[in-house]
Amino acid sequence: MKTGQELRAGHVINIDGQPWLIQKAEISRSGRNTAVVKTKLKNLLNGSLTETPYKADDKFEDISLERKEVTYSYFADPVYVFVDTEYEQYELAADDLGDLLHYIEDGMEDICEAVFFDDRMISITPPNTVTREIVYSEPSVRGDTSGKVMKRARLSNGHEIQVSDFVNTGDKVVIDTRTGEYKSRAKD
Amino acid sequence: MTQAPLWDIFCKVVDNHGDIGVCWRLARQLAAEQPVRVRLWIDDLQALKTLWPAAELKDRQSLAGVDVCLWSAEFDADVRVADVVIEAFACHLPSTYIKSMAIKRDQGPAPQWFNLEYLSAETWVEGCHGLFSPHPLTGLKKAFFFPGFSFKTGGLIREKALLEVRDAFLKDPAIADQWLAQQGVHRQSGSLTISLFAYENPAIGSLLRAWQLSDFAIHCLVPEGRILTSINAALATQLKAGDQLQLGALQLLVLPFLHQDDYDRLLWSCDVNFVRGEDSFVRAHWAGKPMVWQIYPQDDDIHLVKLDAWLAQQTRISGPALSAAALTQAWNTQADCAAEWQQAITDQKRWQQQSLAWTKHLNLFDDLASQLVYFGQKSL
Repeated sequence: MKTGQELRAGHVINIDGQPWLIQKAEISRSGRNTAVVKTKLKNLLNGSLTETPYKADDKFEDISLERKEVTYSYFADPVYVFVDTEYEQYELAADDLGDLLHYIEDGMEDICEAVFFDDRMISITPPNTVTREIVYSEPSVRGDTSGKVMKRARLSNGHEIQVSDFVNTGDKVVIDTRTGEYKSRAKD
Repeated sequence: MTQAPLWDIFCKVVDNHGDIGVCWRLARQLAAEQPVRVRLWIDDLQALKTLWPAAELKDRQSLAGVDVCLWSAEFDADVRVADVVIEAFACHLPSTYIKSMAIKRDQGPAPQWFNLEYLSAETWVEGCHGLFSPHPLTGLKKAFFFPGFSFKTGGLIREKALLEVRDAFLKDPAIADQWLAQQGVHRQSGSLTISLFAYENPAIGSLLRAWQLSDFAIHCLVPEGRILTSINAALATQLKAGDQLQLGALQLLVLPFLHQDDYDRLLWSCDVNFVRGEDSFVRAHWAGKPMVWQIYPQDDDIHLVKLDAWLAQQTRISGPALSAAALTQAWNTQADCAAEWQQAITDQKRWQQQSLAWTKHLNLFDDLASQLVYFGQKSL
């Protein structure tokens, strides 16, 4: 059990039988040494978001979620199929892929972290960085080599990102999946 | 004929009379002004009896239109769940009652559930007011409801006719004079009348000395309470309810604990009111007189942050009242208050004008009881 004042971002709590991820928890002192905790919660089953206050001494059942390493296997419209190290297959709809959808491509080998609730895969997180090929970008016109001038570039799945001006079509780039930002040109 | 909706208010008396003071006023007001039936669950009937002498120490009774019930440790699981449920001031409802609420929800319609929080002028309150909080075990939705001083909060307790009753009382000074005379005060032109309701505070010594040496007569009325301990310590006396003492320019009178309506009359009759906690604090706002608030002390001096937030809100509306603010801060930090008192009272006329402006501003928005009813209707 956790109390309201022990809630922190990243915890998953059980509310009426559903797993909710705490994205933010702010504690404010109320009267007579009591406190109110204002949380931002995400329902891990349906993705809905809510802002919810609790009393500091409200009690919550903690949820320990199972986590596994998985890799992308194939797309079976409308679901994406992943496999774990024992070749067990798990499906997830596009809406539940979160930001990983931006980096999905056939043949990708990135090891992702899948989260399970009641033996069901409910979310998946890509590694902090992924390397992807630029399939199209306007050629550099300014001859900039500092990396400060940015331009748009497209990945093989159609997702567009901002890259340094010196990046060319066919280059591979490193992307920070937490921010969605280009980090550097990949070394061969 | 359809019965009026039933409201349950749950109140645990922590200490003093703030919790029961607010809950009892709210219960009375709802019963008197709204088309609802009100049941008040309270775990300490003696505390209610102090405020409302007609109360008896029995499990169930009808008082001022309110069904007053003893909230005992073994809560009867068969109690019928109300249509609207208020858990006041961080208390927790009996688990059996919450289970019954969930059953009622499943059979529809769900009871409306409010968590009534403490009064605060801090801005974070506005960001939490009215938000729903699903109960971890049942999913029942509970609305967090914050009294406050702005349009973005639930407002303050204020009975519909309160200001009219106050104005009628103050219209003819003879009425207040007569009421004060009943308490033992015969004020004369140029004298100052002060009510003093506070927690223990060693700073009272500095004020008592300043009042004794005043150029004008000062009548200080002290409703029986915790400050009396500090007064007796400062004066080396053993004053109790009914006693009075003349010390130089100061006439000190100790009153018995006052009935809520009489406490209002005291606030209206005095020129300056020292108040504490929440209930007397709110009533002092409606008196429209200069006040010095002693906030409930909390760990880590967090109460001083809350005090500053209130002073800042008041200043934004009624202009800077620096001398009164300095007196309030000195009183709350238990510092010597003599100089701050002198400055504040020298500026009494302005202090009075600003108090009235603040009251006028607060009167612009709906009272707490009306807002609870309105919120319930809106969220249905």
